[in-house]
Order: sequence, then structure tokens, then C-alpha cells
Amino acid sequence: MARVKLTDVKKIYDNNVVAVHDFNLDIADKEFIVFVGPSGCGKSTTLRMVAGLEEISEGTVEIDGVVVNDLQPKDRDISMVFQNYALYPHLTVFENIAFPLRLVKTPQDEVFQKVTEVAEILGITEYLNRKPRALSGGQRQRVAIGRAMVRNPKVFLMDEPLSNLDAKLRNQMRAEIILLRKRIDTTFIYVTHDQTEAMTLGDRIVIMKDGYIMQVGTPDEVFDSPANLFVAEFIGAPKMNTFKTQLIKENGEYYVTPFGAKILVDGRKGELLKAKNVQPGEVILGVRPEHMVVAKDGIEATVLVNEMMGSEIHLHVVTKDDTQLIVRVPTVDLSHEEREKLTNGHELHVSFKGNVMNFFDPETEKNILVD
Amino acid sequence: MNENKKHMGLKAKERLSNTVIYAILIVMSIVWLIPFVFLVFESFRVESTYQVGYVIPKQFGFDNYINLFTKTDFPIWFKNTLVIGLFVSVIQTVIVLCMSYTLSRLRFKGRKGLMNIMLVLGFFPGFLSLVILYKVLSWLNLTSANSVPGLILVYVASSGMGYYVSKGFFDTISRSLDEAARVDGATRFQVFTKVIMPLSKPIVIYTILTAFMGPWGDFMLAKYVSHATSAGMNVAVGLQTMISTPASLAANYTMFCAGGVVVAIPITILFMCLQKYYVEGVTGGAVKG
Repeated sequence: MARVKLTDVKKIYDNNVVAVHDFNLDIADKEFIVFVGPSGCGKSTTLRMVAGLEEISEGTVEIDGVVVNDLQPKDRDISMVFQNYALYPHLTVFENIAFPLRLVKTPQDEVFQKVTEVAEILGITEYLNRKPRALSGGQRQRVAIGRAMVRNPKVFLMDEPLSNLDAKLRNQMRAEIILLRKRIDTTFIYVTHDQTEAMTLGDRIVIMKDGYIMQVGTPDEVFDSPANLFVAEFIGAPKMNTFKTQLIKENGEYYVTPFGAKILVDGRKGELLKAKNVQPGEVILGVRPEHMVVAKDGIEATVLVNEMMGSEIHLHVVTKDDTQLIVRVPTVDLSHEEREKLTNGHELHVSFKGNVMNFFDPETEKNILVD
Repeated sequence: MNENKKHMGLKAKERLSNTVIYAILIVMSIVWLIPFVFLVFESFRVESTYQVGYVIPKQFGFDNYINLFTKTDFPIWFKNTLVIGLFVSVIQTVIVLCMSYTLSRLRFKGRKGLMNIMLVLGFFPGFLSLVILYKVLSWLNLTSANSVPGLILVYVASSGMGYYVSKGFFDTISRSLDEAARVDGATRFQVFTKVIMPLSKPIVIYTILTAFMGPWGDFMLAKYVSHATSAGMNVAVGLQTMISTPASLAANYTMFCAGGVVVAIPITILFMCLQKYYVEGVTGGAVKG
């Protein structure tokens, strides 16, 4: 259990490539924080700096108030789960889990008790005498988690632990990690490139790009009020529809005029615009596919691709000026005839409500309503 | 019908290529075995001490072996060689493994330069340094009768150069194993001894074998350093002195062959004991492939 504080942390490689720029983050005790971003964004590097596997070029990392910059990984009281499991192939599952305990010369009966306890929690008791090579991917990952758990570390680090598993197993393990987290009840730092994992696991999410933090916030915050265009497009699947449009003000009300339509900005977003007294002009408008609907009037469009997902259809449509939009259409309310119609070339209207829009500055790409 | 024909053709082709491969291998192994069989027969020949025009002895006996151990300095040479071989194999293995692990895992200034220098140095044949080595060893009084420690010193001194094979092996062991062990609480040295070494049995065995075989069969340097002093000779040099003149060749030829067989025994035993470790796939399951 520990608070982790990163202050102005920077990583500069020997070839002067800056992998992480001035990273500032205060992670509370027992918080589950997720670093998410595309590959090469510096999320793993930051995690490895916390672990002590990567030198910190500038700035400080504190664990429980102690600056750990110059401490070896073994002296930081952390555990880490690696993407490729990193199990010791010459040791049995039991010895793999017992490895950290053996290094600190734990008495044999205590080792036995702790290992069996962890194995029971993770449901790997029957494999304790096997070598890692005789296990499936999911079992191996459980062993890796067990090895990290057995020491009761202050901070639990996970570097893309589910990336090597197939989709079904990943969903299952994700749920298990949520349960596990409740049991272990310590500080977690979890790295992933998968925004679903980030949204479902994290108390707070740190979204990174090119070594910079793009936004830090709860899943709700980053989803509802993305700080910038990058976060808006990164979080959510399929990604948010974004297009340039005019924001106009008439009789004290704000409207947007995408593709010849005119839509009133109402609800919370409308109030925020008014409260901030935002100047009308060109904005980048962001609307999530789930907030778009096939309507009687609105934006004229033609169906390009119909992706049937089962419970919903991802409808790719193209507007008159060749902008592609994605609309998530739930299939539950759709009659057979309506569904038949949503085929390539079919002309329709799409629209969206005023309280779900996001407005981004065309120059800075920052969310106009987020400070 | 046509497809069936093609299918049978493939099978026949495979059988044919296997036959050819086995035939070639059999011929090659016979060619390799002939000198050794010849050597063994000669070593058991009792009826003459010199070369004869036939292979199978008319009279078998251990006379040559008995004479070798009782009437020559062979026991001294054998002991010298064994001492050198054991010391060199232990010291060289430690140095080579540390060196290769360092070059594989640690990043430090001059690492690439060092590897390049050693690569270039390796291009030069060892005997180029023979004269200066002799000079240095004679200053240290490590020649002639004292050549055993002298030879150990020389063989061990260049150990680090032989890091290529083991570095290549260490490179194949995922670095995340090192990292996992360090996070789990291991020091660099513990990572090496508790994780990397157990995974590297084949390469450790390989290093020990090559480190032992180098000095075991060395002739040129040993000849130079022992400088015609029998007490400082190794088996190769000692045996060579037995047949260095036409007269001694005629008198000692079969005994020389017996010496050759005795020299081959430790190496053969070593290989037979250790070959089971030459098993691939020790790292299977370490990381997701």
C-alpha cells in the first residue's frame, strides 16, 4: 500500500530521443491507475521507470514519500507482471511463485503456506508441479500474477498483461483482475493499449501520446469530456465522429450547422457554452457513434458499409461532401424491413442530440469546454 | 488417377532422398572411423614395434600400453595435460560465461568497440604471438619444467575472446526473465546464477568441453614452452618426441598409437557423459513464442 508520486519525470535515451516528457502524476494509496495510449507513447517506459528497470533521466519518482530514483528494483518493494509472462522455464509453477520468497530466505513452511494460498485464489493449485511450458497462456498469466502477489508488494505493476491472450480469455481475465484488485487492495499501475481495459479497470486513466500526458481522469471524465481531439478519438469504439462545422449563436442559443443541418446545442453542453460565453465560429465537432441516430430529418447521407455486430449495427455512412460518419444502430428496436434497408447505397438522414456534442478548437484541438 | 500418381511420386522421392542422405552419412562415418580403428589395432600389436603392411595384428596384447606407462614419461605428460585441462576448463568457463553475459545484457560505453577489437584480434593466428609469449614466460620462469602453470596462464589469458557462441545463446534468453527476477528481488549476480545459468546448461557444457579440448590437444605452444624438458611436456608434445627420429619411430610406433588411444579416452568419456545435456528447448515456455 503506497502513494506513488512522479514529478517532472523525463526519459531521454542515449540517442537523444525523448520518450517521456515532464510526466507529473500523483497516484493515491490503493488507487488503480491505467496508462493507456498507442504504441510508442511512453506508457511502458514510464512504468519501467517506476519499476527501476529504466533509468530516470530527469525528475523524481517517490514511493511512500521516498525518492526511489537510485534504488534497485529489488529495493523498491514492487511487483510486476510482464506481457510475455516471464516465467522461469526451469522451475515448476510452485517454485516460480516461491521465487521472490526464496530470495529473502523465507522459512520453508511459510513459503508453502503462502504459495498454496495464492495458488488457491488464482485457481492454479492443480498445476503447481508443472513446468510453465505445460500450461496454456491464461494459466501462465495466472502464475505470473501469483508470483507478483505472493510478496504483498507496495505497488503492483502490470505491463500489458492481457495482450498475449485471445479475445475471449482476455475478457475473462479482465474480470478476474477486477476481483483480484479487491482482494489485494494495493496501489496498481496498469499499462495497456486497449481502451476497453483502461475504461473497465482504472479508477483513473492516464492517456498518453508521444511521451506527453494527454489527459488524466476517471473513465467517465475521459469519455464524456475528452480534453482534446486525441483523447476523444482514442477512447470509445468505434471512434468518435469528428468534423469541422460552424458554431453559431441566435437569440442567446448556440447551434451547430453540420452538412447543411441545423442542430440546437441544449442540455449541459449548451449551458456550459453559455456560461463560458464561447465566441461563435468554426469548431471541430465530436459526436460518438452511439449518440448518432438514423432520423427522419437531419444530415443527408448514404450507407457505405453495414457492419452487423449482433446487438447493434455499425453503419458507415458518407455525407454529401464525402465525410464518413459511423452510426451505432441498436438492432433491438429495428424491424426486419428497416434492417433490410440499411444496405450499401441506401439514402437516409442521421442526426444527434445537442447535449452529447464535444467542441474542439480547430487550431489547438483542445476541448473548448474543458479547462 | 493422375493425382494418385503424383502422390506416389512424392513418397518415392522422399524415400530416395533419405536413402541418398543415409548412404552419404554411412560413407562419411566409415571414412572418419577408419583412422581410429587403424590406431586401435596398431596399439594392440605385439609382434612388431614399427609400421607393417597389414592392419589386423597377428598377436594381440597390452604390451604397448604397459610399456607406455612404465618405460616412458607418459604418466607425467598425462598428468600435466590433465592438470592444465582441468584448470583451464574451470577458469576459462567462468571467464567466458561472465564475459558473454555482460556483453549480452549490460550496455556500457565502448561495448561495441570492445567486441570489434576482439573480432579483429581473432583474425590473427595464435602462433604469431609465440615468440613474445615465450619471452614473457621465460622472464616469469614459467617455461621448461615449470611450463604447466605457464601454459595455464597463456590459455586462460585469451579466454574472453571466445564469448561469441555463449553470447549468442544468452541473447536468445528473453531479457524480461532478467527483469522479472530483478523485480522479484534478485541482484544481478543472483539473476545470473539462479535464472540464466540453469537455463544455459547446454552452453555451459559446450564451453567446458571446448575449454578442456583446446589445451588437451595443443601442440605448438606446448612444444615451444616445454622446450625439450620432458617434465614440462603435455601428451601431444611428449608423444611426438617418441617418434621424432626414424629410429625412434621404428622403436616406438605401436606404443605411440597406444598413447593416442589413451589420450582419446578422457575426451570420449567427457562427451559420452555430457552429450545428454545437448538438448534444445530448455527455454520452451519461458515467454510466449
